[in-house]
Amino acid sequence: MSISAMPPCQAACPIHTDVRGYVGAIARGDIEEAIRIIRQVNPFPSVCGRICTRACESACRRGQVDEPIAIASLKRFAADRTKGLKQVLRTGPYYTEKVAIVGGGPSGLTAAHDLTLLGYKVTVFEAHHELGGMMTRGVPEYRLPKSVVKEDIDLILSMGVEAKTGMALGRDITIDELLKDYQAVFLALGSERSVFPKCKGVELPGVITAVEFLKQVSHGQRPYLGKSIVVVGGGHTAIDAARTCIRLGSPDVTLIYRRTVNEMSAGKVEVEEAESEGVKFRYLTAPIEFLGRGKVEKVRCVEMRFVADGSRRRRLVPMENSEFEIKADAVILAIGYNPKTDDIKEIELISGKKGTIVVKDEMGTTNIKGVFAGGDVVSGPMSVIDAIASGKKAADAIHRYLRNLPPREIEEPTVLRPLDEKIVNLIVKTVRQKMPTLPIKERIKSFDEVNLGYSPEQAVTCAQRCLNCGSGASVSEDCVACFNCVMVCPYGVAAPGEEKAHIDISQCQACGICAAECPASAIDVKLETKEASRKKLKDVIKSAKEEAPEDFTIEFYCQYEESEGHPKEKKRAKYSVGKPCMARVDVYQLIHPFEEGSKGVEINKCEHHHECRFKGCDEWIRKHIESAQKILGEIGIDADRLKLITEKKK
Amino acid sequence: MVVAEIKPFKEIKDTLKHYKKVLIVGCGACVTVCLSGGRKQVELLASALKTSRKVEGDEIMVGEMLIPRQCEPKFVDMIKGEAGKYEVILSMGCGAGVQEIAERIENIPVLPALNTTFIGMADEKGQYLEVCAACGDCILSKTGGICPVARCAKSLINGPCGGSRGGMCEVSKDNPCVWQLIYDRLVKLNMLHLLKGISQPKTRSVHPRRMVREDLTSKK
Repeated sequence: MSISAMPPCQAACPIHTDVRGYVGAIARGDIEEAIRIIRQVNPFPSVCGRICTRACESACRRGQVDEPIAIASLKRFAADRTKGLKQVLRTGPYYTEKVAIVGGGPSGLTAAHDLTLLGYKVTVFEAHHELGGMMTRGVPEYRLPKSVVKEDIDLILSMGVEAKTGMALGRDITIDELLKDYQAVFLALGSERSVFPKCKGVELPGVITAVEFLKQVSHGQRPYLGKSIVVVGGGHTAIDAARTCIRLGSPDVTLIYRRTVNEMSAGKVEVEEAESEGVKFRYLTAPIEFLGRGKVEKVRCVEMRFVADGSRRRRLVPMENSEFEIKADAVILAIGYNPKTDDIKEIELISGKKGTIVVKDEMGTTNIKGVFAGGDVVSGPMSVIDAIASGKKAADAIHRYLRNLPPREIEEPTVLRPLDEKIVNLIVKTVRQKMPTLPIKERIKSFDEVNLGYSPEQAVTCAQRCLNCGSGASVSEDCVACFNCVMVCPYGVAAPGEEKAHIDISQCQACGICAAECPASAIDVKLETKEASRKKLKDVIKSAKEEAPEDFTIEFYCQYEESEGHPKEKKRAKYSVGKPCMARVDVYQLIHPFEEGSKGVEINKCEHHHECRFKGCDEWIRKHIESAQKILGEIGIDADRLKLITEKKK
Repeated sequence: MVVAEIKPFKEIKDTLKHYKKVLIVGCGACVTVCLSGGRKQVELLASALKTSRKVEGDEIMVGEMLIPRQCEPKFVDMIKGEAGKYEVILSMGCGAGVQEIAERIENIPVLPALNTTFIGMADEKGQYLEVCAACGDCILSKTGGICPVARCAKSLINGPCGGSRGGMCEVSKDNPCVWQLIYDRLVKLNMLHLLKGISQPKTRSVHPRRMVREDLTSKK
């Protein structure tokens, strides 16, 4: 496996966010670096930190050991904690070509963001009076506060993106008109028209759509729909509608879904949160008729069951004689959405069955020259990260179109293999930090955000659980095939190859012991390269010599130490060198400070964890110290000047 | 491989006491493998020397180099230019390396940082064992691939001395009796009959030995 293979989290992310990079930055306490890494690809960190569907977490290899890293929550942490940070985004000089974007949701705004960075003047046309699309109209505030969306959007607007709200395509503007003033158009109209079930009584008053309902609430209205509410659907919107009803005072809210919790696109966590707030769930239940005189009063349902139909997918069929009725003062439908493209029917865009715009390729090229389309209007309703991904693709495609560049070659990244079972068993288990939440009593009375976000201590602890997949050891041409690495690797990953040692990057845990022990200095560990490590030590010594010549001590400390107390730098003496585990501090690094005039060297071994993060590192730390002390003795330096500090400093 | 050990630091320091500019030259072959003279050891020894001088209130300029194989004249020639900047070369190669450097770089003294100890093999547990005495008259075909010349304390070539106890050597009780090892292996190979043969006493080689490549040295 190539050493450039992508960690599974990054590969799973539709925009290939460098998850390992930013999680690692948080683990070191460098939040500014974390947000910088996130913002390289994602203009909506505050939003994604809250409502992302988190394909990364499903792919996270920590999940093979215990639980995945809380990647989205860490993104939220980075975004929330850098609010005041002045983020300078490069804009201008501009090309002469201008780009019009229709639709101010995540896809359109992402395209606007990327195109601005690429050097185009961009105008966003939004049909509603507010930007944000489903982020502001579709997701209730207790899950995604509008102010949070606004922060991300404001930053995009601050780059010089022009927004014209209240401008709907087909009503206020046409594609032909846009093409006169703009050299490229991106259609990101979204997908907000509800799908109705084929049931009798669907036209009864009291049967409403979740989109309409949530939109009203997002505009500040607080409609009380009655005591008993039935929500139909299994997605995020269905659960959002149900939890919103609870907040509006309805005591009896039942969500019916034709499949089971396992098939729900809303995650189990969301279901649990809704249940804890009082929402009742009836799975394998489908509505067949809405009943009532003059307004809806009851829902007639049928129970469903799966039957095997020979293929891999199971078919869902109604159970005979299983009909029953549920009382309903109102019914909220959330079974799906289609794009609302009726107003642009006359335009010669090829449209799909459900009102989607048909594109020619992954880049979103339509049959009209200069017009591109993306986001939900092409794909049907997807997650916010998918919309962002499509906005990014469109921006790139438009740039290539306007600059006459060849289309981007799409290469599938090589992805690190899953961890082998034997490695999984050697990794120390840890617990995922629980997201602090608003007490249920308070939650159901307000639209205040439920998830409160990690504290700095929690975030660091959580980030330090990252296995740094793929940032392990690689063997250079300098290898003399002594296979010392094979003997010292605590995980049994290093193996003899035909001509040199071989270290499987997909399994290496990046403990750094092999690199510290390689007599040919032929092994380097990406997590902290030899060059970076030497430079770090050199820089610390340099400042020590400048500030306190003749009177300084160099201390090495484990970055995985005291994960509950951050930032460390403030607590530390001045001349400290942080290390991702101390086993990688080789004998040279222990001796060298004395050469530079250090009075002493301290190894501050982490005491916080019950067990060292890496297997066997304790022993190697001890061995390195012993070897170094022996050399010091021979040199004529009191060996006690090199100390291992193990007691807690509290 | 040739196994060598780093000399006591004091000895190295003493041999260098009159010099202020030393070039440490490591070797990328055998001594890297046995962890005595590779890049890492060069770096460490350089730092130790500089520190030690500092402790004594003095200083020293230490250069660090590594050549792939010190016993190869063409590699040694490549460092001639750099070596000219120093007063002395400290070789971290085996005895052959030290002498190759001395042979090629005539105007600068070359000192050894290692004691070359034996021709040996690694045992995967962190030990290097002497297994070949380079006697020039190999009898391994008769002894199950185990050399009594190098591995018997008495270098007996026709069976054990009789002092072996519980399979261990009477001279050095940590060492197995090599004749026991030879016997056990020949039992396994079902080749015990080999022990009935007599190995003739070895003719002691006259030093220095040489091996001649006739393809290069023969007269036209």
